[in-house]
Amino acid sequence: MKKLMALMLAGVVTAAMVTGCGGADTQTDAPAETEAPAAETEAPADGETGDADVADTENGADAQESASGESDMAYVKEKGTLVVGITDFEPMDYKDESGKWIGFDADMAAAFAESLGVSVEFVEIDWDNKIMELDGKTIDCVWNGMTLTDEVKSAMECSNAYCNNAQIVIIPADQADQYQDKESLAGLSFAVEAGSAGEAQVQALGLECTPVKAQADALMEVAAKTSDAAVIDSLMAAAMVGEGTSYADLTYTVQLNDEEYGVGFRKGSDLAQALNEFFVTSYADGSMLATAETYSVQAAVIEQK
Amino acid sequence: MELILEQMPIVIRSLNIGFLQTLKLFAVTLLGAVPLGLVIAFGSMSRFRPLSFFTKIVVWIIRGTPLMIQLLIIYYFPGLVLGKPIWGGGETGRFLAASVSFIFNYACYFSEIYRGGIQSVPVGQEEAGLVLGMTRSQIFFKVTLLQMIKRIVPPMSNEIITLVKDTSLARIIALQEIIWAGQAFMKGSQGISGAIWPMFFTAVYYLIFSGILTVLLGWLEKKLDYFR
Repeated sequence: MKKLMALMLAGVVTAAMVTGCGGADTQTDAPAETEAPAAETEAPADGETGDADVADTENGADAQESASGESDMAYVKEKGTLVVGITDFEPMDYKDESGKWIGFDADMAAAFAESLGVSVEFVEIDWDNKIMELDGKTIDCVWNGMTLTDEVKSAMECSNAYCNNAQIVIIPADQADQYQDKESLAGLSFAVEAGSAGEAQVQALGLECTPVKAQADALMEVAAKTSDAAVIDSLMAAAMVGEGTSYADLTYTVQLNDEEYGVGFRKGSDLAQALNEFFVTSYADGSMLATAETYSVQAAVIEQK
Repeated sequence: MELILEQMPIVIRSLNIGFLQTLKLFAVTLLGAVPLGLVIAFGSMSRFRPLSFFTKIVVWIIRGTPLMIQLLIIYYFPGLVLGKPIWGGGETGRFLAASVSFIFNYACYFSEIYRGGIQSVPVGQEEAGLVLGMTRSQIFFKVTLLQMIKRIVPPMSNEIITLVKDTSLARIIALQEIIWAGQAFMKGSQGISGAIWPMFFTAVYYLIFSGILTVLLGWLEKKLDYFR
């Protein structure tokens, strides 16, 4: 009896542990757990990242994938859903009253999915983890007013730029008149989103800056006077500061640069090319601008050809 | 102030949805970790040395690494390294991955509390049971277990209340719990943008819920106070 119990416990504990302690253990156990369903759907998935890609081949498994030669587009078509990674970001991706995702990016993503003949699924992600989400195949693309920086371009397969953006300085409204050009910014302490285009701009100017987790946090720093100023996206600034927000006494002044938004896919994905073609057609037939007008961003849209 | 009152209904609705997610994760973790912790406790007390050694190593790994890293590993590792995103990208998958991480993490902490509780029962009681001809399992269930439960209530209460707040870590894998819901308004969501107060307001939810738990666990402790 005693021995039997000890044995049973040993069995349960072992099984439990294997899932539990992450790392290598998750690796062995997790797929086994869901083997039956996973095996069917994943088989095509295995081949998908790799087709033309060199950057993605971090390990042997990926290298094997390339050999099988299946494309990312085939993978998405196979599973029938384009999973779009977004954050709640008006006017690009946000929810209407019924809880449906709308916005310039959301509508374009839905139209793109339709052109591929698959359904679209929007998933909110933690922006810091967007590359992990892509490479881990929990999403298929990042389509959320993403600034095309060198970092983004090296980690993802990016579409052509489709929208203009800028980094601008946020400052308390009562001091705004003192800070109207880049030179006047010296001596201010800045809050910027870690890894953002704004951070790069501030560093390029050699100004003091504190990286925070999100652009929204950068604004809070200014409101709480823990930083003198913040640098965020102009599209976002327009929605987030001024009357009707918690930041009624903040305003934006200096524009630091010009930049562009693009859509990110897994490195080596053929979907980026497909999207570029889709952009060209939808720009040509006017549907892209019509969508942009719905959300008042038509002025920022870049011509596609 | 007027603005806040205006935004209140939308924010509350959204926070409620987020808090439901928090509660779900809390309940699932508790349901899974309480029994699993007992299994692990037996493992680490086993007289079969390899088993107790192995269990102790696992407890060391789980307790010795941040829960946030465990969440990231469990959610992203299968897709990143194995190329098999077993959890999927949707909300259900994220919830499952979070549940698994939380259950194992908390089971390891619980197991040590159980072990302390079991070992605090004087060994003389076990010897007396053996003299009376009881089997070890009889001794455990009829003599030790209830005394152990009584003794572990205060430390368990501690862990359970910590768990309520730890659920907020799951937002690292984009599980949309209450703080996520509150922060959404900082940027812009459902027509409200640039609002900071909803995030701070989430604290009220945590405070009320842990208040209720404190009362319940205090009551339980009293209930179990009949043998000294």
